[in-house]
Amino acid sequence: MKTKDASRQTIAAERSASLSRRHFLRGLGACLALPAFESLRPFNLFAAEAASRRLATTATGAPLRTAFIFFPNGAIPSAWWPQLETANFGLSSTLKPLEPARQLIQVMGGLDHVCANPGLDGGGDHARGNGVFLTGVRLKKSATDIRAGISIDQAIAREVGHLTRFPSLELTCDNVRQSGACDSNYSCAYQYNISWSSASTPMTPEANPRLAFERLFGAGAPGARAETAKRRRLEQQSVLDFVLEDAHRLQRRLAAHDKDKLDQYLTGIRTIETRIQKAEQFGPAKDPEIATPAGVPSDYAEYIQVMFDLMVLAFQTDSTRVATFCLAHDGDNRSFGEIGIFEGHHDLSHHQDKPDRIKKVAEIDLWYVKQFARFLQKLQDTKDLDGRSLLHNSMIVYGGGNADGNRHTHTNLPIVLAGAGGGTLTPGRYVKHGSKPATNLFLSLADRMGVHGLERFGDSTGRLKDV
Amino acid sequence: MDLKCLLATTVACFVLASAPAVELPAAAHFREKIQPILSQYCYDCHADGANKGGVAFDEFKSDDAILAKHDLWFNVLKNLRTGVMPPAKKPRPTSAERKQLEDWIKFEAFGIDPNHPDPGRVTIRRLNRFEYRNTIRDLMGVDFDAQTELPPDDTGYGFDNIGDVLTLSPMLLEKYMDAANEIVAKAVPTASRAIEKKAIPGRAFRRNNIENPVGDAGGALYLSYYQPAVVSNSFQAAHNGHYQLTLDLTANENYVEGQFDYNKCRLIFKVDGQELLRQEYIREGGKAFHYEFTRDWQAGEHVLVFELEPLTLDEKQIRSLSIRINSVTVRGPAEKKYWVPPKNYARFFTKDAPQTPAGRRAYARELLGAFATKAFRRPVDEDTADRLALLAEKISREPNKTFEAGVAQAMVAVLVSPQFLFREENIETNRPPDSQPFIDEYALASRLSYFLWSTMPDDELFRLARDGKLRKNLAGQVKRMLADPRSDALMENFPGQWLQARDAETVPIDARAILAREEKPNPEADLLRKRFKEFANRPEESLTPEEKAEFAKVRTAFFKSFKRPRVELTGDLRYAMRREAEMYFGNIVHEDRNVIELIDSDYAFLNEKLARHYGLTNLNVTGTELRRVTLPPGSPRGGVLTMGSVLAVTSNPTRTSPVKRGLFILQNILGNPTPPPPPNIPPLEDAKKESGDYPPTSREALEIHRNQPLCNSCHGRMDPLGLALENFNALGMWREKEFEQPIDVTGKLITGESFKDIRELKHILVADHRLDFYRTLTEKMLTYALGRGLEYYDVETVDQIVNRLEKENGRFSALLMGVVESAPFQKRRDSDSLAGNGSSSNSQQRAEIKLKP
Repeated sequence: MKTKDASRQTIAAERSASLSRRHFLRGLGACLALPAFESLRPFNLFAAEAASRRLATTATGAPLRTAFIFFPNGAIPSAWWPQLETANFGLSSTLKPLEPARQLIQVMGGLDHVCANPGLDGGGDHARGNGVFLTGVRLKKSATDIRAGISIDQAIAREVGHLTRFPSLELTCDNVRQSGACDSNYSCAYQYNISWSSASTPMTPEANPRLAFERLFGAGAPGARAETAKRRRLEQQSVLDFVLEDAHRLQRRLAAHDKDKLDQYLTGIRTIETRIQKAEQFGPAKDPEIATPAGVPSDYAEYIQVMFDLMVLAFQTDSTRVATFCLAHDGDNRSFGEIGIFEGHHDLSHHQDKPDRIKKVAEIDLWYVKQFARFLQKLQDTKDLDGRSLLHNSMIVYGGGNADGNRHTHTNLPIVLAGAGGGTLTPGRYVKHGSKPATNLFLSLADRMGVHGLERFGDSTGRLKDV
Repeated sequence: MDLKCLLATTVACFVLASAPAVELPAAAHFREKIQPILSQYCYDCHADGANKGGVAFDEFKSDDAILAKHDLWFNVLKNLRTGVMPPAKKPRPTSAERKQLEDWIKFEAFGIDPNHPDPGRVTIRRLNRFEYRNTIRDLMGVDFDAQTELPPDDTGYGFDNIGDVLTLSPMLLEKYMDAANEIVAKAVPTASRAIEKKAIPGRAFRRNNIENPVGDAGGALYLSYYQPAVVSNSFQAAHNGHYQLTLDLTANENYVEGQFDYNKCRLIFKVDGQELLRQEYIREGGKAFHYEFTRDWQAGEHVLVFELEPLTLDEKQIRSLSIRINSVTVRGPAEKKYWVPPKNYARFFTKDAPQTPAGRRAYARELLGAFATKAFRRPVDEDTADRLALLAEKISREPNKTFEAGVAQAMVAVLVSPQFLFREENIETNRPPDSQPFIDEYALASRLSYFLWSTMPDDELFRLARDGKLRKNLAGQVKRMLADPRSDALMENFPGQWLQARDAETVPIDARAILAREEKPNPEADLLRKRFKEFANRPEESLTPEEKAEFAKVRTAFFKSFKRPRVELTGDLRYAMRREAEMYFGNIVHEDRNVIELIDSDYAFLNEKLARHYGLTNLNVTGTELRRVTLPPGSPRGGVLTMGSVLAVTSNPTRTSPVKRGLFILQNILGNPTPPPPPNIPPLEDAKKESGDYPPTSREALEIHRNQPLCNSCHGRMDPLGLALENFNALGMWREKEFEQPIDVTGKLITGESFKDIRELKHILVADHRLDFYRTLTEKMLTYALGRGLEYYDVETVDQIVNRLEKENGRFSALLMGVVESAPFQKRRDSDSLAGNGSSSNSQQRAEIKLKP
């Protein structure tokens, strides 16, 4: 059929676009050519308010950012954990690539997600590993009746999102979905979303670098983007009143059951309205003056780096202070031919205690950490408003929802906290926290982001004291 | 076969069978009739303190508790019907006892009224990506690439059109807004008149008035640098006036490595004998050239001529240099009085905008009311049309905005409205109030069109719905819809998801690793590879000079021995695999064949590559088109189980997975209940054979399951099915050996039947498990058609369709009409009433029990 051919052509076109781009980039040795910071120095009209309430702001008045990065299928514990719990800890083999940023990371031991344990729900540890990671609640086991909880990034964005053009940014490298049912009768929504704005509304992450870039800075060539973005706002504005009225009318006609869906619609409309208001308040976004990334790169490492670059760019331009990035969903079965591993990641992670399989999984864990390390390097190399690095003024959680992928455990999760939180964190350590809910860490981060009145979050039992 | 008639038969049987017990409440009936059966066949494991699998039949605290356990009874029903319980070695209930148990569960525990099964209620559905793209195509005439521009939809019960799961995030709404603007800008003209534009394709230019050899319709014309040529065409100018001509050319070559082509040519373009262009070209590497000329023309014929002169007759001709004439575009006359309505104008506007404001408002209202009616797939009220007209007027009053621009912006609003993005369903109002009302005819039209076409209803469906005649003409319309090319969407989306055929294009499979399992072991090459990897993984500076030297040697040897695998899953092959599944299913639909052919048949859909891939080389299948091919006798192909797509998507990247394949058959073919794997799976001991040098075969690795009761309860069902497919590697190719060992594909099903290979297994499935397959397929199709998961109260609806299939020899139309005429497709439960259920205590359970996908 025609549409199919068209879509095949598109895929082919995007593939070849990414191929030629790759050749181009290989030469450049970077993904996006990140612009110099000075040209992007952000202007924030809420700076005074933010500073006085310490909302997502450091003591020096610079923006404070937080990001949550998820990697799939846990990590081989023996290769992940450092030997010594000291400030002088030696990085384990898996975490070795973080060496250059060593003074700005904390390896966090003893954080758990008990809500991801089977309990009475039985199988489905990958769906839970994914859906519980940032929500810390028990997921309703259902293919259709989706009940998770708000995720920590969204709880933070609710408080500080008004300071920036975008309350939050959600990214993923899961651009191809498997057909059919997901993990053990859990809805696929749990398995592909780590960010949730409410119990029933996942924040669909963006998988296409081009679309993510256009959303942040406008479509078109450098220089023309402010104009495109403005035209787009005007177009949006002109139809908002009509569709809002339509939604209200429809909602009155619908049964209770359907109203949830219309609520999602209305929330979307309100979000767009806010965005338009903000655009008027903030003026045009700073144009990074670089070419818009092409579609989805076929090389996975490059794909991840382009997404990380977009995150750096979003922080650098103060487009947002909250971001999530799901590198791949839990249970992902991608193979890693580029490092000589042709078996699927998930398949391997059930290693049956065979040394060669364990070694391969550890190599994949290491590969992911390498990607993360490159991101940290960029944050470290970028100066913030106060002369510190972006990494100094950030709090970046890197972790997974399964601890030991072989046995599907959810205690002592592999979690690294990077950044100094603008000086409020004590990085450069490996700390064992005993057995504490991971949500305790989230509360501690939310406090630093200036979130007020969040007494509990998910299954939290308090704040994590020593961060 | 008329559904009512069938119903009547079923009801009569039921009434007769249960007549003596009519007065008894369900719980008393349970004690009197059902408990003895359970006691005889099930209590050994599921009573008196024993509760295998967490099931006990003697621990009900009250009568209500017996009936409230819908999940328990639902599982009993499924296990009983699929022959999983009681286990094969234990005594089984007689068919009369079985029937009694089934009827008690359906009609008493579930309280289903077979005449009025509860239709359930579908959550309002958002269009998914496929539906959005198709609907936009039909409504606007624009192909919008939703697969790139919109995020993937979540799935539930294996399908991506389930109302509950189709959420709408703020980002998605924003994308819908951008999409609407982009689509309308592409489709809807914003001015009523524009300069007339006519493009003459290159192929319309002819040599000496002789037709071009290969057709003469559209497309480009290639003129070689090496051959003189004169080609001409004429243009009929309708009026005297000012015209603009645009030439669109490229200078092409066929690249040849390392050799250059120094030829040159001259191109001359003449209009009515006057030379407008004289240009020389060297090798240009595909560069595009555009030239514009303006002419004042009299009405009448004007002759356009291209002349090509080779300039370098002595040069070597290496790269097939050519000038490609894409088109000559003539715009004019430029004088305003000759302007014409732009392309697409008539699609969206019926006439020129009236002069008076009132007239314009009324016209806008009429246009937009009709457009919104189409877009919302049901008539819009006066007020909506008014509001749209108002919006259009507001926009058109802005500076530099036309009447059409206002209408276009109102169309954007329509495409963003929840009434477009969601499918609202109303109930029939011209019937007496009912707790299970029929959905209205517009809703029915949409259910049909999104089920069979994945797009909006067409004019005919819409007209029938408006006249209230659709329900009366259901069978005829379904037939018409299946004959329409839009029904390709059903072949793509249903088997694409039920059989995961879509994933054939993306599933990661490593051909080299797969083929290595079937080739002679080559320890030398393995060692080389290992050594190479060891060195490559180490930082270069850590290597000693000796190691560096060895690395250089190893590297050279490694690259020298490097060969491409003999087979690779190329894009073409993957696409052919996916199409094979779609066309196979489509053939059964279009020829109204027995659906059991999905399990076994003597034909397949192949093209040259796929036939070769399957080792079917002597069938004389050539070319890229897939077509129906009769298989040689005894071929293991035929049916979905041995299709490349299914075999690949149920494999791991480096090996087959008999577990995944077995599970696939249980879930998608037999409909066996499959509990999820237990948490904290104990590691399997290494099943490596003592003597062999090879890794264990899949069968050896899985043998361990049989000795572990915890594993065996499920793997005993899955593994024999999956192992029967071990003759097919993860690429879907036939193989006799793995690691130089013959492959053992014999097995025994948990229901007792033995088979020696996949051919026999297919025969067993066809002969003994036909009803299981009918039921599973019915459940899948009903789920897809309704956009909701099936629940316990749907059991009777499914049974009725299965009966109909059985009665009509498995013909696809019986399934399809069964689905389309079923209560859940035709009706919906009144919002808050819980109809068709005898027992009030059942109501709380309703939402919690779902059929397994």
